[in-house]
Amino acid sequence: MTFILQNIIDALSLGSLYALIALGIGLIFGIMRLMNFAHGELMMLGAYALFFTVGQPQAVMALIAIMFVVAIAIIMERVAFRPLRGANPATLLIASFALAYFIQHLVLLIFGARPKSVNFFFELSEFFVVGGLRIPKLQVATIVLTVLLLVGLVLFFRRSSIGMQMRAAAEDFEMARLVGVRANTVIAIAFSLSGALAAVVSLLYVIQTGTLSPGMGISLVLVAFVATVIGGMGSLVGAAVGGMIVGVLTVALQAVLPIELRPYRDAAVFALLIGFLLVRPQGLLKGRAAKERV
Amino acid sequence: MLALDDVKVSYSNILALRGVSLHVETREIVAVIGPNGAGKSSLLNSIAGAVQIVGGAIRFEDSPIAGKSPEDLVRLGVSLVPEGRRIFAGLSVWENIRIGAVARKDRAAISQDIERVLETFPVLQERLKQPAGKLSGGEQQMLAISRALLARPRLLLIDEPSLGLAPLVVDEVYRAVGELREGGVTVLLVEQSATRALQFADRIYVLNTGAIVMSGSSDELRNAADFEDAYFGYGTSSQ
Repeated sequence: MTFILQNIIDALSLGSLYALIALGIGLIFGIMRLMNFAHGELMMLGAYALFFTVGQPQAVMALIAIMFVVAIAIIMERVAFRPLRGANPATLLIASFALAYFIQHLVLLIFGARPKSVNFFFELSEFFVVGGLRIPKLQVATIVLTVLLLVGLVLFFRRSSIGMQMRAAAEDFEMARLVGVRANTVIAIAFSLSGALAAVVSLLYVIQTGTLSPGMGISLVLVAFVATVIGGMGSLVGAAVGGMIVGVLTVALQAVLPIELRPYRDAAVFALLIGFLLVRPQGLLKGRAAKERV
Repeated sequence: MLALDDVKVSYSNILALRGVSLHVETREIVAVIGPNGAGKSSLLNSIAGAVQIVGGAIRFEDSPIAGKSPEDLVRLGVSLVPEGRRIFAGLSVWENIRIGAVARKDRAAISQDIERVLETFPVLQERLKQPAGKLSGGEQQMLAISRALLARPRLLLIDEPSLGLAPLVVDEVYRAVGELREGGVTVLLVEQSATRALQFADRIYVLNTGAIVMSGSSDELRNAADFEDAYFGYGTSSQ
């Protein structure tokens, strides 16, 4: 029983992390039809921001990391993606790949390939002991933070004027502009939110692993890409659900697979992706963005 | 108020508008009619900024507006009710109306305007909280017009208001558009239904294969012997 509960908490925690990454990607895709692979580099840069602010109070480190990543996300949109606005999704995808590799190798060039370690909110790696259950504080923090961010996002989209404009733009971008929604504002806010989510993920990731490296974003963003496809591209709820499913599946496979098969755990996740692309390419929740723009 | 001079629009090197010139005076209701594929929607989209022109000039209240973004044109006073309504299906009816006022800051006046459009289209009042995608075609058309009106346009562009609607609903839509003129709004609409346009508009332009082939007051065109030929493109008529 303890084993099952332990795994459920692990699954929810990992699923939450993936859901946050998938949400960051889904936000941009919903509005621009851009699958932003450079989202992984935003997470990586967030971690480096923490590394360079060591010595400051931890809350200040977190705040600087979030502000830095949001600023980079806005610059990314302005410099790399705005000139390509209206281009077809394949062009945008390739541009995001190019940007991701550029940022990654720039960091590699400047700071080197060696992973660095950061001591950040180390106290969260302690455990609560409930019954026979050892629950890492970080896992609880991850789940609570994800729930709070999800509720915050829902309120933002439902209650605020700019949230309403973003929903309209995600549905029909051209029509939204025809009623007066400012394209640049909506896209800049989408990138800011996406950047903030990426920064939160880098905080959680660094707390968990204590390390960072130039290549850390790629594996995270690939998993989130799988989550976005499974959940339904263009649907924010779908992105969150997809992230949770991938997290749960990963932990479940880790728990039940014999040790010699565990290295193939990720292969099973990608097999699920292929299955979805073959059988239900629109994902579990079909987003309005699944429609082609005309 | 609005003047188009030799406007050309092309898609992939195919000219959809081949040098269109027309003008609309303040408080007029002008209709552009023509068969399917004549270039009517391209015409309205080019004025609203959704399509860039490749030649000619568009002036609104004596200022050139070609090349301006759709969101800037809304702020200048030009609003489009597009073909197929294109309401935001996932937003509620209220949100669809409210988003029409996104360029405005005068909250009190916005509330009054919302009340006013709901008086004009009472059927929307009962459905404010419903997703707009659940509305019937006629209700969606009323919603699309309401949304455009919330921007307080001085020039309202309406693309095929009668398309796919039952005749009674079309009557209601046209009644509402007629009321707009009383409120000082100038209307440029495009229609496939010549009968409707002739009943309703002050002046008519007939567009065929991307060019104006005939124009005049509704009375003049109703009595013109070659009107049908011009509409269907059987011959080229003089303007």
